Amino acid sequence: MSWQCYYFHAGVRRPPCRSNKLGHSRSLSTALHFYQNRQLDLYAAKEAHRLTLRQLVFFGRQMDEDRLIKSANYVRTELPVRIAHRIRDLQALPYVVVTQEGVARVYELYWSAFEKFRRFPQVTNLSENEIFCEFLQNILDEHAPVIPSLSLGLSLASPHLPPDSLDSFMRRMLVSRISRRVLAEHHVALTKSLGKNSFNSHEDPHVGIIYTALNLKASIDKCVKLLRKRPRNAVNDKEESLFNRGWPEVIVDGHLDAKFAYIREHLEYILFELLKNAMRATWFKHRDAATLPPICATIVAGENDVGVRISDQGGGLFSAPIQSASDLFSFSHIRNATRMDDNRLGALRTASSRGVKATVAEQVGGLQANETERVQVGKDPEREAGIAPHQRIGLGLPMSNIFATYFGGSLELVSLDEWGTDVFLRLPKLGTNLEGIEV
Amino acid sequence: MSASTNRLISRMSGGAATVRVPCRRSYHVRRAPEPPSAEISQLLASYAVHPPHPLTLNSLVAFGQPLIPESVLSSVSFVLSEIPRRLARRARALETLPFIVGTNPYVSRTLNAYRESFQFLANYPSVTTLEENASFTAELSHLVESHRNDIPTMAKGFQECAKYMSPTQISNFLDGAIRNRISVRLIAEQHIALSQALETQKHIGATSHYGIVDMACSPAAVVKMCGVFVSELCEATLGGTPSIIIDGHYDTTFAYVPVHLEYILTEILKNAFRATVERHYKLHGTASTRPVPPVTITISPPPSPSSPFLSIRIRDQGGGVSPTNMARIFSYAFTTAGQDNDDSGGGPYAAQHIGGSAAVGVGMSAGEGNLFGEITGKGVQAGLGTIAGLGYGLPMSRLYAKYFGGSLDLFSLDGWGSDVYVKLRSVDQAGNAQI
Repeated sequence: MSWQCYYFHAGVRRPPCRSNKLGHSRSLSTALHFYQNRQLDLYAAKEAHRLTLRQLVFFGRQMDEDRLIKSANYVRTELPVRIAHRIRDLQALPYVVVTQEGVARVYELYWSAFEKFRRFPQVTNLSENEIFCEFLQNILDEHAPVIPSLSLGLSLASPHLPPDSLDSFMRRMLVSRISRRVLAEHHVALTKSLGKNSFNSHEDPHVGIIYTALNLKASIDKCVKLLRKRPRNAVNDKEESLFNRGWPEVIVDGHLDAKFAYIREHLEYILFELLKNAMRATWFKHRDAATLPPICATIVAGENDVGVRISDQGGGLFSAPIQSASDLFSFSHIRNATRMDDNRLGALRTASSRGVKATVAEQVGGLQANETERVQVGKDPEREAGIAPHQRIGLGLPMSNIFATYFGGSLELVSLDEWGTDVFLRLPKLGTNLEGIEV
Repeated sequence: MSASTNRLISRMSGGAATVRVPCRRSYHVRRAPEPPSAEISQLLASYAVHPPHPLTLNSLVAFGQPLIPESVLSSVSFVLSEIPRRLARRARALETLPFIVGTNPYVSRTLNAYRESFQFLANYPSVTTLEENASFTAELSHLVESHRNDIPTMAKGFQECAKYMSPTQISNFLDGAIRNRISVRLIAEQHIALSQALETQKHIGATSHYGIVDMACSPAAVVKMCGVFVSELCEATLGGTPSIIIDGHYDTTFAYVPVHLEYILTEILKNAFRATVERHYKLHGTASTRPVPPVTITISPPPSPSSPFLSIRIRDQGGGVSPTNMARIFSYAFTTAGQDNDDSGGGPYAAQHIGGSAAVGVGMSAGEGNLFGEITGKGVQAGLGTIAGLGYGLPMSRLYAKYFGGSLDLFSLDGWGSDVYVKLRSVDQAGNAQI
């Protein structure tokens, strides 16, 4: 069973949050909770052990049973330390923020994960490793609502937190979350490929979740294809175009053969989101025109990193009420007022019941479900009400930024007002940068 | 008495036994320079004590509306009070530098130049007629000319003082000096332009120019003009040149000071052209028939109240800027041209001027007077100008861009090319910008 099946698995709807019950039990046990925090302090006092991409690849290359067990125990002991750090961070937030909808739920989820990890026995053989992998996947599934819940909760709590601390808190949470998912998924993938020589495969050589010969052009083409297949009203806002055109073309130039080793899922998410934004902006800016100007993607292989520049003619960034491009990465409504838009918040609420993993497959899966359901059922009242999977929740740019900076890359946006936007994505290619988490 | 004095005396006395005679002549080297005359010190102090009148662009432009003798004469009295104030502040700034820096010949030369110009203007009799104004503007022109080499002179001096001043101090000082120089020239040239416009307006008729401000400045036209100039320079120096593609909103116009825009664009195009050609040769050799990749310039739509900036993007395929150099490209006298670092420092720019080989102004006219040539006519051994090696292009362009509230940013795709984004505020929107 390849790790990709995991994502279709994740489409299962979660039961709604039983916040009443939790709130009730919490009011009885807050005192207990306070004194039991000592357990957490023990773990929080340890330092997280940061890795580089190269280490992840190197370790995974010569896989055998012993090394796999080692990996399992490494993940088993490292993850609770990272979770403990995040819980301490949550505990440091203002009281009124953590008791808020969304944040409270995340807090409970983190505690439960921490307890489960703490109690998981040591892994000593392959069958125990199987159980561990299942356990990991369950936790990942359970935590799918974290991103939208946190985003929702913090946007609502935005009046209580200055923008800087809100953004840096959110950043630490999201980066840590990515790091835990990377470790967990990498281990699960290594387990699955034990015995197969996927590192030397000609098609798609990979070690765990790291694809060692990622061709940027191929990734861009894949994202473009997926995006252009979307129905024309996927933009889902007020107007439709007078002309029956599709989505804009994407012209790719630069170093078309550039290849590097990276986590494919991260790269494709970033490219997908950026191209999605570019297409949407171009579509809107030229909704009365017969043809759409193309988007230009330039691939560059530098000494230490690879870069992709995406240039569109979508009118620039400043139609939104923001001061500078980096405000688009902010979760604070002070920096980016759209965070408090009703439909944005509503969309986040829906997303948090479903869960968001920040992957391309999740978004494409939703679209494909759209198509088939539409064919089978005809009109779907939920879709009609606008609560469709591709509703805009405003996480694409902040998540892309976090993915990009995770191993020391960067994401920059420059706007040419009323003309278009240029996005510069840089990802390190040597694999020698440490994970960008806080220790 | 020193040993050398002894030797001299013994030689004088015909090589006989050393005779100790108290020497009247003093060989003591005076370590501290002479203080300035009391008159000029007092004058400087009185001017420097009052900060320059906060001048806005609106008020400067207002002198030209309407263009009648009275407004030109009030412009004169404005010039005679504001420029000396600004010169006094520059002189004061130099005087407050560390003493050891002040003894550097280049620095002291600049200080003296400021003091002299200041004195000249502070003591100038008031101008009440147009004839007097005519001779005044001639003198003013000459004065501005004489300060042309200030920045490279100071920079050369600071290079020599690297031990005594940190790079940040130097850079802050030069930033202040350049900004000050831009103000002084703006005020001076506006007055000169207005005076000349008054004379000639009977012949020309209404234009969109208010002195040195052009209310309908066309970026596309400026790009084409600078492009031609830089192309020739590039062809002459390197043997090849990229073409220019202008896209975006070709017809955009906005209110700006054309010489500033010309300076900025020329410097950026020089960088882009040089990088493109050098990279092309590196990849394909000098004899290749492949076309040199073009430099693409995109112009945004005209500024409006909701979007007050005019943006210009200059995109090249010149290989980009390496990550190590990115931190340094906006610092003064950093250049990748002519990698041999000569000890005298200051870069070839400074050396050419200090040596006295006066730059022959390039014959581009951008309106009244050879203002354009004055800015860009640098060490011209080829008779055309240098395309690179100056190390000032980017930091000065950025200062010019920021002067009315704009910005200049460079994004590099290391291994492919660079994008430079120039955002300029239309001066009718920036009317309240202080200068």
